[in-house]
Amino acid sequence: MTLPDSIMAFLNEAALQSRTRVPDRDASLFLSGVLDSFSLVDFVTVIESECGIKVEDADLRPENFDTISRVEAFIARATLAK
Amino acid sequence: MSCYIIGAGAALPERVVANAELAPLLGVTADWIESGSGIRERRWVTAEQSTSDLAVAAVHDALSRAGMRAEKIDYLIGCTLSPDYQVPGVAPLVQRKLAGCRPIPAVDLRVGCAAILYSLQLARGLIESGSAGTVACFGAEAQSKGLDLSPHSAELSMLFGDGAGALIVSGDANQNRDWFDLRVEDVLLASDGDFAEDLIVRSPGTGNGARWLSSEQLVAGLHYGFMNGRNVILHAVRKLAEAAVEITERNGLGLDEIDLVIPHQANANLLSALSRKLSLSRERIISNVDRFGNTGGASAFIALWQAYREERLQPGAAVLIVAFAAGFTWGAALCRVTTDRSS
Repeated sequence: MTLPDSIMAFLNEAALQSRTRVPDRDASLFLSGVLDSFSLVDFVTVIESECGIKVEDADLRPENFDTISRVEAFIARATLAK
Repeated sequence: MSCYIIGAGAALPERVVANAELAPLLGVTADWIESGSGIRERRWVTAEQSTSDLAVAAVHDALSRAGMRAEKIDYLIGCTLSPDYQVPGVAPLVQRKLAGCRPIPAVDLRVGCAAILYSLQLARGLIESGSAGTVACFGAEAQSKGLDLSPHSAELSMLFGDGAGALIVSGDANQNRDWFDLRVEDVLLASDGDFAEDLIVRSPGTGNGARWLSSEQLVAGLHYGFMNGRNVILHAVRKLAEAAVEITERNGLGLDEIDLVIPHQANANLLSALSRKLSLSRERIISNVDRFGNTGGASAFIALWQAYREERLQPGAAVLIVAFAAGFTWGAALCRVTTDRSS
């Protein structure tokens, strides 16, 4: 799967605010400066609302959201488990 | 039976430590500290001051606000993660230093930054069961004495300040016209030990092998705090928001009916994230983290005292206290400012 446009829009906006660019799909969103600890909170909220999934506490770990490919994989798993 | 907060007090060390003083020790800039935490300065104790000194001053202040003497206290609940000694707890030391205090039960709770919530729930239970009529609760920290002041720990050590706050909780509404009581209407608490290692001070402790304190542990820095910051923030905002929603809903309220939120003062950016998550304006959220830093178990006590000082506890106001702590443990308390008077 690829990330929904609304989620990519969030990342593009976060990148713009951080004066950086959204990195390649396997590069870290944290190391690239797109996400930090606080924007990650908003990112997870957007994922939940846009994909209609609930991120369970056990899955609420930064490593699940560190790269675009990991986010895609996570959403695919969570959608299947619904 | 109702249970009321009839007085709040606080004590803060005189020494102000601005970011400009701390930043070089941590290998960062003052601006970096402020942008990452919202903190501009914090208070630190002197070498001669201990946690119990701050606690006693805070309890005195709260008693004064309640128009009450220490003789009236039936039970003392103390919370700290920076005690004067490993044993005994800080509460008996406060009992000793508090002039006029009778030989009452004095217990320590090691619940970190959720101190005010556990204190209120236990105080309420003691009062409702008839075990105590008046309970003094305090959160007090002299955390500066335990910080790793090196670049290795910049993200954690930049946060912490020292201070104490106290509440006098009673089954009788106050007669003191200077203070509006807060009726404690509900307390919600939860924990999830799966994340115990994400915010931890490992040593001294029996989980570290043959000795609870060894030179090897000291060399490894296990006596300093460790925080998995991203994970803590991620869970803190979620759990604080969930607790706020749950406690308001189960009391037939909406978040829009909450007049004032008194959170643990972890980090200004975290408070902003919580504000966004709950769609609550920052004006309704008490904040002092810019001036006092994260004062751990004392912070929500101090924030409540601040709300009183700023005359934000107006009759009828619904007040929500929220906190998240190592463990993880978290929760919320719902209070109502009342003009009830005991007959």
